[in-house]
Amino acid sequence: MKPGLAIQPWGNYSLALAASVECLRVEPWTQRSTTPETLRLGVEASPEFACLSFKACTGHFIKAAQEGVRYGVMVNSRGTCRLRYYREIQQKILQERGLDLFIFGLGYDGLKPPLIRHFDPDLLPFLRCCARAQQKTLAVDALEREVWRVRAVERQPGDATRVLNECLADLDRARSVPEIRACVRTFKPRFAAVPIDATRVPLRIGLLGEATLLRDRYLNHNLEEILGGLGAEVRNFFLLGDEVRNIFRIGLFSRNSRWRLKRLARPYLENLVGGHALDSVAHALRCAQEGFDGVVHVAPAGCMPEVSVRPILRRLSQDLDLPILECSFDEHASHVGVVTRLEAFVSMLRERQEKKPRKRP
Amino acid sequence: MKNSHYLGIDVGSISANLVLIDAEAQVVFADYRRVDGWPLRAAQAALAALRAACPQAVLAGVGATGSARHLVAAALGADVVQNEISAHACAAIHVQPDVQTVIEIGGQDSKVTIVRDRVVVDFAMNLLCAAGTGSFLDAQAQRLNLTIEEFSRQAVRSERPTGIAGRCTVFAESDMIHKQQIGHRQEDIVMGLCLAMARNFLGNVCVGKEIRPPIVFQGGVSANQGMRRAFAELLKCELIVPEHHLVMGALGAALLVRRAAPAASRFRGFDVCERAIDTQAFTCPDCANACEVIEIVDRGEIVGRSGGRCRKWEGRAGPR
Repeated sequence: MKPGLAIQPWGNYSLALAASVECLRVEPWTQRSTTPETLRLGVEASPEFACLSFKACTGHFIKAAQEGVRYGVMVNSRGTCRLRYYREIQQKILQERGLDLFIFGLGYDGLKPPLIRHFDPDLLPFLRCCARAQQKTLAVDALEREVWRVRAVERQPGDATRVLNECLADLDRARSVPEIRACVRTFKPRFAAVPIDATRVPLRIGLLGEATLLRDRYLNHNLEEILGGLGAEVRNFFLLGDEVRNIFRIGLFSRNSRWRLKRLARPYLENLVGGHALDSVAHALRCAQEGFDGVVHVAPAGCMPEVSVRPILRRLSQDLDLPILECSFDEHASHVGVVTRLEAFVSMLRERQEKKPRKRP
Repeated sequence: MKNSHYLGIDVGSISANLVLIDAEAQVVFADYRRVDGWPLRAAQAALAALRAACPQAVLAGVGATGSARHLVAAALGADVVQNEISAHACAAIHVQPDVQTVIEIGGQDSKVTIVRDRVVVDFAMNLLCAAGTGSFLDAQAQRLNLTIEEFSRQAVRSERPTGIAGRCTVFAESDMIHKQQIGHRQEDIVMGLCLAMARNFLGNVCVGKEIRPPIVFQGGVSANQGMRRAFAELLKCELIVPEHHLVMGALGAALLVRRAAPAASRFRGFDVCERAIDTQAFTCPDCANACEVIEIVDRGEIVGRSGGRCRKWEGRAGPR
């Protein structure tokens, strides 16, 4: 039997990540989002002050270990957020609970990351597998873009999400690059078949902040769907395709390259704060330039990088007349409270739009 | 229709409020009562009071707001379901068109809304802390063996308010006990509490917001003379407490439904206040979230649902 490998949940990207480890001759174990059960496990085991992302991830690994999974993998890059030490702490928590699961860190550790060193795949299958994972990541990017657009104008609430889930299931079944490409070609027509109300003018809202919360629909209380249901076309600025390109320094000249973002954010942020702080500032500026109606900034309570950028965002919001809603989440956040804030934010933006419409380029 | 009226109902954590306005947006009837743990029954009782007071009213629309809005909307049949932040702002702008800031403190939440040129431009709501809300004042009044009305009267009499640590309400309470034990006068302690609560609100909820007069103060806590005085002292300006300060949420909901002017109201008739409306829960089997969804049952028929993380069940009637 192949050993199991638990992968941190990354929203819809989980399936692409699962595809990336196939060549390691392991059985990927992942979930599309945190569940109430894994969060409960994580909260019990984690220090009280750790951020929500940490707790969710810890719970995920505990659940995996309980189901007999022996290995895990998580991002712990050289990022300057506390994420840097999270792998070590989680490993210790698992050990103390007598759980036998080894977590590989995916960071900069020589030419061959420890995960590859341990499983030592053959080169050709490995490259083929990377290509598949990359294609699936880009496919999910494309799906996300479609669903944001359609959800804001769908006639029957829930249609866009249903089509999204069908597409994801098909994508998960695709085994080769040509199969993935064929699957991607069906996306557009499938979303085009959703009945929409073309007379509605959707608001445009940018979502930015901490990556796990942006991606995990359980942790962020289904932010994208709530906003979509209120008639807002969201744009979630965490797209894994862009992120991967940045990590490997490909696409230096793409719109979302680190270099571009740095230049964009420079009037407000010169130093590295860690995490996705730079992205948050740069993307907020981009939202203002592109005439977005508002921005929702999402962070776990106590997230160091994102808390540091909040004063910057407040300043930016005043300077550029861009409404920004700050949302902090922890395991105690009440769903009603989140929905109430989002509804109030959307109705405020609607009122503004009626009184003085923002210019859309 | 000339004789048409609009009903707004706001059911929150502590109180259920109901306002009936006529076609010219004049308040015809207002009702404020405590929920005491039964949101639906409180709403039904308020409706019964309305029927007794204005039996001739023809309802052209119903608006629901407050944290129990979805439950109430399904049970009564509402045309507009709006969050309480927007409803409160709408009412404040209606009664005070030049308002720049709205402070609203209710049973368990407190919010500040910034208005410019009759448009809401920013708002904030207490997030991780319920300090300075009605529930806390209630609890402290009880500890001092005062009714909330006596608490309010005492606060105004104070000449030297006691300094009380207000960062956290649990610590505020221990500090208050300490001040009692070293012999501070009761009215000074009461006023000290109000000041601590107001400072906490201004420091936590209003941080980074530009508080400009005219300021409208509303919600359950605005009935408290001590809190009015505390805000006036700290903000160095008089606050406007509107006539219907207790029921502004309901007034806002009524104004919103009047603006929406539904062609035919979904109101299920005054009879709903007599029927035993029941709720039942089920666990949605569709994903790993396993959300608990509440079904609102009236005479064996499911009239609405609420709960769940996705929007699938919200407001959906009929069989599963």
